[in-house]
Amino acid sequence: MWRGGMFALALVCAAGGTAAAQWLSLPVPGIPRNADGTPNLNAPAPRTADGKPDHSGIWGMLRTENANPNANLLPRGTEAPMLPWAAELYKRRVDTFGYDRPMTMCLPHGVPDALTSPYPFKLIQTPAVTVHLYEEFTKYRQVHTDGRQLPVDPNPVYYGYSVGRWEGDTFVVDTAGFKEGSWLDNDGHPHTDALRTTERFRRTNFGSMDVVVTIDDPKAYSRPWTAQTMRLVLQPDTELLEHLCESNRDLERLQKIWQGREPAAPPITGRQ
Amino acid sequence: MRTGLAIVMCVALIAASGRALAHHSFAAEFDENKPVKLTGTVNKVEWTNPHIWFFMDVKSPDGTVTNWGFEMASPNGLLRAGWKRDSMKVGDVVAVEARQARDGSHNANAQTVVLSSTGQRLFAGSPVQPAP
Repeated sequence: MWRGGMFALALVCAAGGTAAAQWLSLPVPGIPRNADGTPNLNAPAPRTADGKPDHSGIWGMLRTENANPNANLLPRGTEAPMLPWAAELYKRRVDTFGYDRPMTMCLPHGVPDALTSPYPFKLIQTPAVTVHLYEEFTKYRQVHTDGRQLPVDPNPVYYGYSVGRWEGDTFVVDTAGFKEGSWLDNDGHPHTDALRTTERFRRTNFGSMDVVVTIDDPKAYSRPWTAQTMRLVLQPDTELLEHLCESNRDLERLQKIWQGREPAAPPITGRQ
Repeated sequence: MRTGLAIVMCVALIAASGRALAHHSFAAEFDENKPVKLTGTVNKVEWTNPHIWFFMDVKSPDGTVTNWGFEMASPNGLLRAGWKRDSMKVGDVVAVEARQARDGSHNANAQTVVLSSTGQRLFAGSPVQPAP
């Protein structure tokens, strides 16, 4: 027994760094396969016992030259209906390459920014709640489907408070109760605590999901607006990794870069 | 460096680079129009979030030695691209293609790394690999 254990340990040691590769590339049960064993991402979307589409899985945002919602929720050449203060702040962020970018300070992404991260995220769908596990910064979010309503005047938080419902095969997530400060996208579209988002998730087949996000923030935008459709791609046969904002050595260098670029004026916020 | 022994580690193809994986804006610090190609000896590797950095001594023709620092993606990004945390070691001789810092300092964002110490070929890739 002891010998066997030592042998196994020796094997593990000999394998060295391949442990990470095994964790990142391993067959996950429940994935439809082609004859050669590869995942069949064109298979129909799976369904839960109650007949709803099952959105569970590890997902990543598809980014192309022409459509990169991680950078900007809107296609190039289009503008969100920003109120003047929001337009001023947005321009300042673009001009300075993001002088107050939250993640530089190890602050989290918000909604919908967390969905568009270059890091994958996992959805775990159960009857009463769908859990989002975001790899970037190891954050989570819960979308409740137990019939509760959105809270009235809650303590504002970065990811807000979310409830979900089904409209046919589309899962509609309403979120409110946001804390001001997160960006809607990497270019820096701002929001206030009046933000309400609606995300419409539709799994079109086993490997693909579309998300249509509507931004409603009357303190920052003159009317609700809808982002370009986000294309999520299933990441089969892999696993999330821990990612934490440790050792943020970027900040010191970036603060030197931004020195002198920040206007003397106080920060622009929607409360002004 | 003997190219026969060289391997290419595409640290950071544009789609998967420090830009795409940036914890901050690539453009805030680095200049796309300032490409540099340097060969030197690694003297420090910091395998840490939010970005891996490594440092190497570069000898110029006149014999002076300059220490350069290179930003790469996060550990998760490089792990998914096939790297291991010990893929690059102190003492390795590497050739780097990078984009230099805007302020002219000896910092750069690494795009490719050619490592002479092993025969292993590693490719970069975004943490999120779109389906074909």
